[in-house]
Amino acid sequence: MRMIRTHAAAVAFAATAALTLSACSSADGGTSAGDGTVSGDITLLSPIFEGSEGQRLLEDELLPQFYAKYPDVKVTVDYTTYNQLNEKLTTAVASGLVPDVMMMGVGWVESFADRGVLANLSETGLTQEKLEESYTKEIVEAGMWEDSVYALPIMLDTRFGVARMDLLREAGYDAPPKTWDELTEMSKALTVRSEDGTLQRTGFDVQSMDPRQMFMTMLFSAGGDLFTEDLTAPAFNSPAGVDALEFVSDLIHVDKVEDIGFSSASADPNPLVNGRAAMAIAHNNVWSQFEKAAPELLGELQPFVIQGEASGMFFGGTLATVSAKSKHPEAAQALMEFLASPGPALAANEQRGNVPALTELLDSDYVQGNPLVQFAMENLDVARREGGPAQWLEIRGTFKPAIEAALLGQQTPQEALDGLAKSAQTAIDRK
Amino acid sequence: MTTTKPAAGLRTAGAAAKESPRKPTPARSKQHPQGNKKLRRAGWLMVTPSILHIGLWTALPVIATFVLSFTNYNVFDAPRWIGFENYIEVWNDPTFRKATWNTVVYTFWTVPVSMAIAVVIAVMLNQKMRFQTWYRAAFFLPQVTATVAIAMVWLWIFNPQQGLLNAALSVVGIPGKSWLADPDWALWAVILVGVWQGIGMKMLIYIAALQNIDESLYEAASIDGASSIRKFFSITLPMLKPATFFVFVISVIGAFQVFDQVYVLTDGGPANATTMMTYEVYRSAFQNFRMGMASAQSVFLFAFLLVMTLASRRLTRGEDG
Amino acid sequence: MSAEAVKTTQPGEVPVTPDKAARGRAARRRSTHIALNIALSIGALTMIIPFLWMIVTSLKSPADLAQFPPSLLPKDWVWSNYPEALKAAPFHIYFRNSFIISAGHTMITLALGAMAGYSLARIPFRGREIVFMSFVAMLMIPTYTKIVPQFLLVKFMPFFGGNDVFGQGGTGWLNTWWALIIPGGLSASAIFLFRQFYLSLPKELEEAARLDGLGEFRIFAQIYTPLIKPALATVGLLTFQESWNNFLWPLLVTTRDDLRVIQVGLAVFRQLDGTSWNYLMAGTTLATLPMVLLFLFCQRYFVQGFANAGIK
Repeated sequence: MRMIRTHAAAVAFAATAALTLSACSSADGGTSAGDGTVSGDITLLSPIFEGSEGQRLLEDELLPQFYAKYPDVKVTVDYTTYNQLNEKLTTAVASGLVPDVMMMGVGWVESFADRGVLANLSETGLTQEKLEESYTKEIVEAGMWEDSVYALPIMLDTRFGVARMDLLREAGYDAPPKTWDELTEMSKALTVRSEDGTLQRTGFDVQSMDPRQMFMTMLFSAGGDLFTEDLTAPAFNSPAGVDALEFVSDLIHVDKVEDIGFSSASADPNPLVNGRAAMAIAHNNVWSQFEKAAPELLGELQPFVIQGEASGMFFGGTLATVSAKSKHPEAAQALMEFLASPGPALAANEQRGNVPALTELLDSDYVQGNPLVQFAMENLDVARREGGPAQWLEIRGTFKPAIEAALLGQQTPQEALDGLAKSAQTAIDRK
Repeated sequence: MTTTKPAAGLRTAGAAAKESPRKPTPARSKQHPQGNKKLRRAGWLMVTPSILHIGLWTALPVIATFVLSFTNYNVFDAPRWIGFENYIEVWNDPTFRKATWNTVVYTFWTVPVSMAIAVVIAVMLNQKMRFQTWYRAAFFLPQVTATVAIAMVWLWIFNPQQGLLNAALSVVGIPGKSWLADPDWALWAVILVGVWQGIGMKMLIYIAALQNIDESLYEAASIDGASSIRKFFSITLPMLKPATFFVFVISVIGAFQVFDQVYVLTDGGPANATTMMTYEVYRSAFQNFRMGMASAQSVFLFAFLLVMTLASRRLTRGEDG
Repeated sequence: MSAEAVKTTQPGEVPVTPDKAARGRAARRRSTHIALNIALSIGALTMIIPFLWMIVTSLKSPADLAQFPPSLLPKDWVWSNYPEALKAAPFHIYFRNSFIISAGHTMITLALGAMAGYSLARIPFRGREIVFMSFVAMLMIPTYTKIVPQFLLVKFMPFFGGNDVFGQGGTGWLNTWWALIIPGGLSASAIFLFRQFYLSLPKELEEAARLDGLGEFRIFAQIYTPLIKPALATVGLLTFQESWNNFLWPLLVTTRDDLRVIQVGLAVFRQLDGTSWNYLMAGTTLATLPMVLLFLFCQRYFVQGFANAGIK
């Protein structure tokens, strides 16, 4: 109960901080000048800022700042959830009633830009070079399609390794693993089974997130790519991809570090929280879970990049886009830029415990006070995203069953990834 | 207290019924061509509002589904006619085949099993007894809660570490399982939730239908010395035929369109072990933006259901109408 | 308990004289009755365990929820989860909206559905078989394929929301009560269920009434419909409950918060990156409560019907 209040207070504080921050940054922000010519009634489709708390933040704290600058613009917000964003966007596009400003996930921009739904922002001056002043290259590319910018990043969801140092110390380790070999060795040492073989604690949990995102984290760690450079063919079934999947599969079947079903993406809380896992591939919001359920252990959380041939860190996230058919393109663009500007972006991230996309926000109190978010931001230069071809949304749905089939031993990693690559190729080639 | 109001209506009905034997009753109104015409008009008049509503809000989308199934509609661009390409792809898609099989298995276990349980419970709860209301409420409760929310409770019950099911099993010394992660068990978990949730509606309809059975039939049977079991099979079940036809058809349709519990419990996994036809339809439509494909899959599902319904109608012909 | 139970079991079994055989029968019936109650209690308990779990969960703290092994009962009973959950969204508006929509659907369904069901069951007219089977067939296409065409119908509704006669130019029924109440107002399954209930009634009533010169509508409204009160209660209950739990359609056709429904509010707790179990369960418990009350209210229409009227 007390924790909840503190949390609410923190959000209120963040909103105030956001106010001040955006006041400072408004001088350099925005390509559309605030000279009063920008006007119109526009709509915003948002899968974030949901619930009373988010709504209060957006409508009582953030939008008034926007109106102060653009008094002739009126914003109507359509709140949805990520689970239903697809349906909302599908019906919107089908009926031609596309919201002026839309927030969508990493990996979505490609499809919508390719089909002409989104406005090309490069044409309005938000070029790749300009954005790379404020964001890392990979993040900017998440909002790009065919060399043009279509989206501004707001928040990131990152995945990387997290260790419970109290459990590591018990086993005689004083730092998280630095290589795959160390990871295997430590995972084995940290795994605890009861006498009858029942798994009590996994050394390294790989099942608490979507199998696709888990695999990608390992794929990037192995130095693999999702697609070829020109995006015309899948590359995840390369030797690096097979290595990555084999590594995870071996952890389960050879090293007996974790049993299938020991944890799952839908199982709350994360096994790190109650000591059922010593290390895990985790989402940055595991920090928020600890804050609520086990605040005394916050100090024991140690994030680490899963280091193989390359650095294994994965990000998804939320970006703001403008409809290509908006009747008030200036107003829409102004709102999009406002939402992506430091103040509102920081407040949105703080509300969800997520990672701000803007490099400059590394110094904010929120980021400095959340070691996992801070770690994520400090390593954004090695983080990689999902997506690529315009058919990504279709392809990504087929990952989960294929990865599961490999982990269950129904298929070898090579077979599973080859099958996956085949269906991905079919999707890419379909016109 | 509850008897006063209905009784008034019933008395009118009773009076009308008593009058009938006095007059030469025509077996069918077709002997009265004049009345027949009036009757026909009344019939159409009463069904027309529903035809208009269903026609606009359901039939039109259904027709659209049929048309779109021959196109490559992706919501972004105008649909293009591609003939039977979608159907060929559906036919050759191993995932959809798996989904069809899973759906058939799910339906096989949920519909007859739930129906049998429901009819037995309905008969038990049709007798006046203490706590009758509370028993009925308990059995109906799974039906009233939003599936998505209650499926999340099941998610927890099935949780291998923290779940109630494994905890309960460990008390009697049975080792737990990861129900939803094990391809051999996940479908059974989904089926269990389906049975659990489906009983309420079926029971309710049976209870309502039981009210329509003339008790004099039971009286007569009792005088003949029939046992309760005998009465159940020779009176109750035959009299429940119209209700059973409804429950069967609606349950099969519902089972073939199972979605929510799959969506929450397993997301179709592990490795497509619990994916269902409707789940594939959803994926095609809203994850892959392939409305044409989703339509073709729906038509496939439609054909399946139509055959089953017509077959069950053939089997019960004469008794449901 | 047993006295009441004996008194009210199947008619025709009421003992006439208290002779030895009757007493033996009564004893046997009493033991059957106890067995029946035990069976029903076990069954009922199995059915409600998930709800008990839900309520227990709704009273736990986050720390409690993370416990391993999980505690059966909350360590601290966090009653404040309920007011906190209610604060997470404007639930008073959502609740009102859900109620209006559900009541609207139920009224339309009862009025149109009963009429159509009666017509299809009791009035012989050419084509009724086709009409009936078409209604049933309409149920066989999954929601997810129908939803986009339905959305387009709503959006291009002529003369509404700034639309012209061809449905162009405006937003049609989007963001209006029309969209929330009319399209989902009638389901073919309700007509189907009504038909089956009207079918199960005896023919003599209508023939007599028709000879008496009663209009068909009066036969429907005054003679047959009062006899199927249990069916009315069933259809009403099922319709109301289905609308109450509807989520996707209200979310799609509205963008304004003041038109959204209770299930949309509950979705706030169910995010991709973590579920607030305690709040979700508290909210769901509260959302289920009106349905349970409605059931208890409706259920009195199941205690008697045609059977007690003594009509042959």
